[in-house]
This record gives sequence, structure tokens and C-alpha cells, in this order.
Amino acid sequence: MSPSLLPWYYVGQRFAIALLTLLIISFTVFFATQLLPGDVAEILLGQAATPEAVAGLREAMGLNAPALSQYAGWLAGLAHGDLGTSYANRMEVSELISGRLANSLRLAGVTTLISVPFALALGILAAMYRGSALDRAISICTISVISVPEFMLATLAVLVFAVWLGWLPALSIGGNADTLGGLLKTYAMPVISLAIGVSAQMVRMTRAAVIETIQTPYVEMALLKGASRWRMVIGHALPNAIGPIANAIALSLSYLVGGVIIVETVFNYPGVAKLMVDAVATRDLPLIQSCAMIFCVSYLSLITLADIVAILSNPRLRR
Amino acid sequence: MTLTKTLAAVLPTPGRLGYRFNLAGRTGLCVIAFWALIAVFGPLMSPYAPGEIVDWDYFSPMSGQFWLGTDYLGRDMLSRILMGARYTVGISLAAVAITVTAGVLLGMTAAVIGGWFDMVLSRLLDALNGIPSLLFGLVVVAAVGSSIPVLVLTLAAIYIPGAYRYARALAVNINTMDYVTVARARGETTFYLATREIFPNILGPVLADLGVRFIFIVLVLSGLSFLGLGVQPPNADWGGLVRENLEGMSLGAPAVIFPSVAIATLTISVNMFIDNLPVKIRDRSE
Amino acid sequence: MTDRLPTNWTSRDDAMVESAIRRGATRRDLLRMLMASGVGLAAGGTLLGSASRAVAATPVAGGSIRAAGWSASTADTLDPAKASLSTDYARICAFYNRLTFLAEGGALQMELAEEIATVDAKTWSIKLKSGVQFHDGKTLSADDVVYSLSRHLDEATGSKVHSIAAQMTEIAKVDELTLRIVLAEANADLPTILALHHFMIIADGTTDFSTANGTGPFICEAFEPGVKSVGVKNPNYFKPEGPYLDSFEFIAIADNTARLNALMSGDIQLAGAISPRALRMMEGQDAVWASTTTVGNYTDLNIRLDMEPGSKAEFIEGMKSLIDRELIRKSVLRGLGDIGNDQPVSPASRYYNPDLKPRAFDPEKAKHHFEKAGVLGAEIPMVASDAAASSVDMATVVQQAGAQIGMKLKVDRVPSDGYWSNYWLKAPIHFGHINPRPTPDILFSLLYASDAPWNESHWKSEKFDGMLREARGMLDEEKRTAIYHEMQAMVSDGAGTVIPAFMANVDGVSSNLGGLKPNPLGGLMGFAFAEYVWLKD
Repeated sequence: MSPSLLPWYYVGQRFAIALLTLLIISFTVFFATQLLPGDVAEILLGQAATPEAVAGLREAMGLNAPALSQYAGWLAGLAHGDLGTSYANRMEVSELISGRLANSLRLAGVTTLISVPFALALGILAAMYRGSALDRAISICTISVISVPEFMLATLAVLVFAVWLGWLPALSIGGNADTLGGLLKTYAMPVISLAIGVSAQMVRMTRAAVIETIQTPYVEMALLKGASRWRMVIGHALPNAIGPIANAIALSLSYLVGGVIIVETVFNYPGVAKLMVDAVATRDLPLIQSCAMIFCVSYLSLITLADIVAILSNPRLRR
Repeated sequence: MTLTKTLAAVLPTPGRLGYRFNLAGRTGLCVIAFWALIAVFGPLMSPYAPGEIVDWDYFSPMSGQFWLGTDYLGRDMLSRILMGARYTVGISLAAVAITVTAGVLLGMTAAVIGGWFDMVLSRLLDALNGIPSLLFGLVVVAAVGSSIPVLVLTLAAIYIPGAYRYARALAVNINTMDYVTVARARGETTFYLATREIFPNILGPVLADLGVRFIFIVLVLSGLSFLGLGVQPPNADWGGLVRENLEGMSLGAPAVIFPSVAIATLTISVNMFIDNLPVKIRDRSE
Repeated sequence: MTDRLPTNWTSRDDAMVESAIRRGATRRDLLRMLMASGVGLAAGGTLLGSASRAVAATPVAGGSIRAAGWSASTADTLDPAKASLSTDYARICAFYNRLTFLAEGGALQMELAEEIATVDAKTWSIKLKSGVQFHDGKTLSADDVVYSLSRHLDEATGSKVHSIAAQMTEIAKVDELTLRIVLAEANADLPTILALHHFMIIADGTTDFSTANGTGPFICEAFEPGVKSVGVKNPNYFKPEGPYLDSFEFIAIADNTARLNALMSGDIQLAGAISPRALRMMEGQDAVWASTTTVGNYTDLNIRLDMEPGSKAEFIEGMKSLIDRELIRKSVLRGLGDIGNDQPVSPASRYYNPDLKPRAFDPEKAKHHFEKAGVLGAEIPMVASDAAASSVDMATVVQQAGAQIGMKLKVDRVPSDGYWSNYWLKAPIHFGHINPRPTPDILFSLLYASDAPWNESHWKSEKFDGMLREARGMLDEEKRTAIYHEMQAMVSDGAGTVIPAFMANVDGVSSNLGGLKPNPLGGLMGFAFAEYVWLKD
């Protein structure tokens, strides 16, 4: 293999590994679901679950097949791009998910666009002027922001901007999203609540990673040779810090797809995090699996991307 | 090398600032010590039983009788915060210690050994991370029941993959450095490479990571308690206190403000302490 | 807080004044009532103004509203048989009709039925209204009703009322608009049973519930499970007066604070299940008011009589004396509820036994009983969960009372997830939550008969079973009431279910919404609000 192709070999290997991981995760999730007490028939009947009624419904829903064969069936369907049918309401899982996934991705996308550049800039600034008043101000601000429970931050935002000031709608659903102004209003609060949380974390990780590379001998050399602080950071420290930074960003962003249950709840935003919670509550195996797969795919693509960025940015790793 | 290292450590932080650094670090340490003392002795000082309804009113303001007001049921907030310190400080510190120790050890080992070991470990932890934490929490409750040690381990399990991933990324970078290659060529053991060459060089970011992870654990704790895992009523951790009194926010009730303040002082001081620690620690390690 | 209201005046009192107005009290009566409660004349006058505003006004047609319940999930359904959550009920009430409707005060009205007749309470003849159309244009006939009712008998339907429906041994068409129902045993309550949400009438042969084809006041325009439902006015609705709204949207906001905030900010006009603690925030606000109804739902502490320690009668007695009902009503429910006396028939029911006094809170007596049972000092777990409303708070109240007499009661908070299938009815001491049912017969058959599916404390009494059967077939109201009174006393005395209080339902209502009335089937007018509310100009 020619040396120039070697990085791409690694990249290809990463994708293969990611696929394998996906398979492991789908089985883990399936296994975890099996450990939970109760099944969809019992849960759907809720308080009305008499043994006979449960048995009848189970039979009617085809739940009497062994769990493993239900899983195998779902997996086989997945291979053909079929996510299966929800146990709870007999709708196509793809139909249930598609609209909500679009919502989640939109929210995550907008939040990423705002928070990543912002966080990188602040993190690098803080690292460059380490120990200065600016650095400490950034540090205290980020820590304070992460320290406030998310549900409190979101509720406070609603209280101030929707109830007291009346500037923004309290709910994200059904808002007037036809005009640009309406769109901004609808997304303003959820995006800001999320962006604040994820940026704070990225700022800290970026700062730490950049500082660490500043202290490596070759950057010190550059500094002693009289390179400017800017050139030193952008030209030497940053490329070497990209690996850890990319990983920190990937971890933060992966949370935006599946972990935003609080924001979805407080703003009544119909996304996939709430869908997953519902699915777990009703033991809706095909839906749980599909949601978990979506979270994993987003997580794996982000970290795989981060790994690739790390490999490509560090010449030593390529060898 | 020692000389340049020391230079680098001093260079961006002039001695003038060094003193203030220590002050900030010391302030952080004092606040942590304060809360640690409260966690140990707090319950002895509380004026009322934390679960007892002592006021017919609810969300009442601060008064001579109830220093920090009362909560949504009319229970004394001061007593509840004193009691909550034990859970929040104790559980979070234990969990974050386990998380970061395990994450860093595994991350360094994976980076130094590399190859198949690295890949298998990374995939396994990815798989662990792939289970949504709600599902994970429920499975734990169903499988092993609920107790404080279980809660600590669950928290650690939720955060280890993240700590591992970050530590590994740092270690992999250091692992390619010339001095590590030299050490390896000398025939040093994996243990030596990890502890002597890599660990001191990733300590700074790892500690920063620890600080942030500590905050997450403090906040997630209350969520797990609501799943029925861990702290049982009438006791509650601080996050749980904020959560259960959230309705009082629009009334500006102290019941929601003070637990938040308690969380903020603890988490900020832990991070302040950590941020001002690395210089010293690194000096010692060389 | 505005100076308009006296400081100790709360929405709770507003609700009291309102209900007095509804009962027909004159202005003079009310002012006397207010004077007695220490409210000044001037303030009393303003209060009356705001309360009567909510009651008396002429409906206006037009407009659309958005209302919010508290629960929605992907299990949301348009199938009346499977309906289980507030969102389902609100939706099916708008899209379908029942044969009968339970109105304010438990008064039975005919809806799709023209007339329901019987001589022996066993064989019933139901005549339907003529000319009622489904949304797809089909005319209502006896076939549709036979199909809708028979579905519940098939286990594969997954009906929530399978066990209640099972008593209908024959459901047969007589002619186009008449059908006959034969019951296994006489049951005078059949017309009331048919008013349950699950007995909504759907078109013959319907199997697809992705949209709703009913006869109801609104046509289903959009239905996204777990997200929202939208209904537009049915122009061919069979009732001449309604509905007033052009359209309505129903969503669910699970978070209590978020739901209240949405109401206060004007994003929604009606919010179900407002927390009693939120009332303070609504007080003094002109834009919203709280509508309070007690319909008989309760959270109860169940002690299984067939397991330790509930098998010791003295333990049960001790627990019943250890419950501080007043504290639970005042602190946990913030006064929005009625004190219960360990039996399931609420004061809102016409069969309620007012002579049955709740047991007094008496820790010393409780201690005495526990000593006799030999359990004093032993650690006893009580299983509570957020799934059973307020049960965690109630558990801590009991725990504190126990701590004072050296009784170590431990609160085990378990996940809401799977609570009903894993802990309820199973743990030795646990909490349950029972939704309101319109008749004592349903309550007793479901919860206290020896073969009851949800016999929470596993209490068995042959005498009780006999009385239940006797009262069921009885058409003489007076005798029936007497039997029900006695049965309430038996449950209160013998069963291991401690029912400390009946909880009130509080709906948050925008002041420009008119027409909302209390209903015995639950808050939001028994979920049928869409048909009856209207927007003020």
C-alpha cells in the first residue's frame, strides 16, 4: 500500500469498526430492555391489566414469540431498511421517528452552529491569556453556567421571557414558524438553553487542551525563538490540540440528539429524546431499538469523525 | 527538560499572579472543606427533622424561625440543605473519583498498548455509552435494587466512557512524543510509560475534565433519585431539592434559590481549586 | 398579589363562591357567607363579580383554542377501547359520542341514545337518535353500536373496560335504530356505565384508528401520537347548539411548571391538572382562573391482609390511626380535597355515607395497636412512587408520624416506570391511585369484591359480595342507598386500604374562555370540554 493511502485505510477501518460497534450496541440495548420488568401488553393495559386481558393482548400482538426471535426479526428488517412497526400504536416506526428526528436534528444543528465557533474562540482566548483576568472571567462564567441545573435554567428562561416579558412563546410546538421572525422566536429559548450548557463544557476542554500543547517543547521553542503568541497558538499549539478538542466537541454534540430530554420537556419540543422515553415506558421494543440506533449512529459518526480529525491532524499518528 | 518545563509553567503565569492563584485555590479549598464539614456534622446542627412538616404555609420566606424558609410541603429548608450536603458531597466525590481514576487508567493503558486491546476496549465502552442513561438506570434498579453504593457505581458507569475517551485522546497524542518513543526504546514497561511519561503530561486537562464531570454528577444525581435509584425520601440531594421546589421559582421562594446556591458554591469551588492546582502538582511530579 | 383581594383569600375560596353561585345562592346569601369568613363588604363585591363572570354569560360561536393535558406518549390512540390518558379522553370526546353523557352533579343525559328502557335491570332496550351522521357521511344505525360494544368482549382488542363489558352477555340489533342488551345479572347502572369514555360509538367494522370516524362535534384533522391532535368543527353535528369553537388543538405538557407557564403566557387557554401549589401564582392574575372540582380520585395506602405485617389486624388499626388526614389535606394537597374515611365513595357521589366519620389522628392509640401487634420498632417499608400522585409526600407524612412513636416506617421510592405492573397490588405495603368511577357498583366490583381484579388489600367478605349483587339489580333508589351506606362502613372498617383524602382536580382556565363546568368523570369537564367551551370576544 502506498503511504499516501494509509490514512484512508485507517478511515475505512474506522467505519468497519463503527458498524461492528453498532451491532454490539443494538444487542446490549435489546438485552437491557429484556431485563426490565413488564412487557408492552401489561403496560398498555396499565391499571386494567388482568392476567386474562394481558394474555389475550399478548397473543393478539404476537408477543408470544421468543424475545430473541423478535430481536432477530427486527434486525433482519433493519438490514432491508425497515425499522419495524411500533407495538404500542401499530404505526410504522419510521413514520413515528422521521418528523421528530428532523426536529431534533434541526435543534442540534442550529445549536452546533452557534456554540462550536463561540466555544472554540473563547477556549483558545482563555488559553492564550492564561491566568489573566479574561481567562478567569471566562472560567468562572462557564463553571457557573454548567452548575445551574438545566431544568432550572430552562424554566427560568420561560418565566422571564414568556410569562413576565411576553417576548417569546412558552412552547416551541405550533409556534408561528412561517416567517423568519416567528422561526427565531420559536427556536430562541431552546437553542440558547442548550447552547449555553454545551459551550461551557467545550470552552473548558478546549482551553485545557491548548494549554497542554503550549507547554510542549516545540511550542516552547517557537516561543523562545520569538514567535508571536497568535502565531504560536494558531500555527503550532492548535493543530496538536485538535485531537482532544475534537473528541470533547464530539462528546458534547452527541448529547444534543438524544440527551436533551429536559429541554424537550420544558419547551414541549417534539424530538427523539422524548420518543425514546415513551418507548422505554411502553416497552416498545422496535421503537426503543430504533431510537437507540439513531443515538448511536449520531454518537458514533461524531466520535469517528473526531478520531479521523485527530489522525489526520497529527502526522505522527498516521504512521 | 526540567528547566524548560519549569519555564513554561512560569511563563504564562507571572509571579505576581501566582499569589492570587493560590488565594483562589485556597478559597476553593476552604469552601470545599466547609461543605465537607457540613456533610459530616450538618445533621447534628439541623434545627428540625428534615422530613417533618413544621409550617402550615409553603414556600415561606426567610424568617427567624425558618432561616432559609420552608419548602413545598412546609418543611424547614435549612435542615433539608444540611442533610442534603451529606448526599451531594459524599456521593458526587466518590463517583467522580471512581470515574476519573478508571477512565484515566483505562485510557492510558489503551493508548500505550494500542492495537487490538485499544480497539476492543474502546468499542466496549462505546457500547456502554450507547445505552441511554434512562434505560441504564431503570435496568440497574430492576436488576440490583437501590442503595447508595449502587447509585455511586451507576453514576461512575455512566461517566466512565466519556472520561476514558478524553483521557485516551490526550494519551494517544503524548504517546507519539519523542521522549515516550525514547523511553519505549529503552525497554521501559507499560506501567512505567503510563505513570511516568504520560500521566504527568495529561494531568492538567484530566483535572479540568474531572472538575466538569463533578458538576455533571452533582446534577445527574437528582435525576437518578427520581428514578428511584439512591437517595430515598424524606432525604434528598441538593439537585433533588431544587427539582421538588421548582414550582416555587416564580414566587422567588428561598426553597429553590438556596439549594441552587449550595450546588453552585460547591461546584465552582471544586473547579476553582482544580484550576489553581496543576502548577504545583506538576512540579512535584518531576 | 394585587390589592383587589384580601390577603387570606385564595382561589380555593373563589371556587367555593363559584360553586355557591352555581347552586343558585343569591347575592345576599353570598355576601353573608363572605362576611362570616371575615371578608369585607367591598372586597366581597369584587369577588362576586369575578366569580359570576365565570358562570353567567351567553355562549359565542367561533374562534379556536389550544388546550393542554398532562400526559401523552407514543401509545396515544384514537381507539376508544384503548384510551387511557387525559389526552386520549379529550380527543375521543371531541371526535366520537357515547350513548349517554354524565353531566354536572352526576345527572345522566342521553347522547346518541334516544331512550334506554328496562323492567328488570337485566334486559335493556336502547333506542337511538335518528339521522345522526358519521364524519364520512354514513348514518348511525344499531349495527355501529353493536359493533362498538361487542369489541370490548374480545381480548385481542386490548380494551380497558373488558371486565366491565363482560357482563353484557347479549348485544343484539332489534331494528335499524334499536338494540337489546342482556346482562348476566341485573345491573341498574348500565346507563351510567355506557357513559364511560371507552364506550364511545365508532362506525361498524372500523379497524384502522389512524384517523377518527365518529359522530362527534369535531372532525379529526391531525393526529400525531405524543405530539398533538387538531379537530375542526363538524358542520353536521346532531346537537343544534354546539360546538361553539371552529377548531381546537390538544397537546400535552408533562411538566407541571411548563404547563402553568404556557397558560400564564397565553400560549394555551386551558390547562388540566394544575398543581395546587401553583394557585398562589395564579392568584391576583386577571388573565387566568382556577376551576376546581372534586370528583373522587384518591391515592391510598394499601396494606395487604394476606401478608406480614398486614395480616395482623392490630397493625391495620394502628396505621389507620397513624394517618394525619388533616395534615395530608392541608400540606400535601394544599387544602384542595376532602378528607377521606378509608372507603372509595366520595362526597361528590349521591350514595356517599355522611355519617361515616374519618378516623382521628391519634399516635398514642396507634402506638398501642403496634405494640399489641408486636411490630413496634421493626423497620417496615412502604412502597411509593411518582406514578401514584402525591404518594411520596403522603409516605413521608406517615413516616414522620411513625418516627414520633418509635415506629420505623421506611419510604421506598420506586420508578414510575412499570409501577402498576410491578409494585401495585404486589408489595405488602404500597400506594395506589384510583381514578374516579361514576358508580359505587363499579368501585366496589373493581376494588373490594372478593374476586375483584384490583382488590388492593386482598380483603374478602362474602356478606359484602352478597350486598353488592343485591344492590346492583335494585331499581329502588332508597333501599339501594341504604345498602351502599352500609357497604362503605364495612370497607372502612375491614379493608386494608387507607384512603386519607379525595383529591380535587384543578384546571387552569384563561378568563376569555367560557362554558367550563365541573364534571363527575374528571377535570377538563370530564375531558369533554371542546364541545362545550366558547371564546369570549
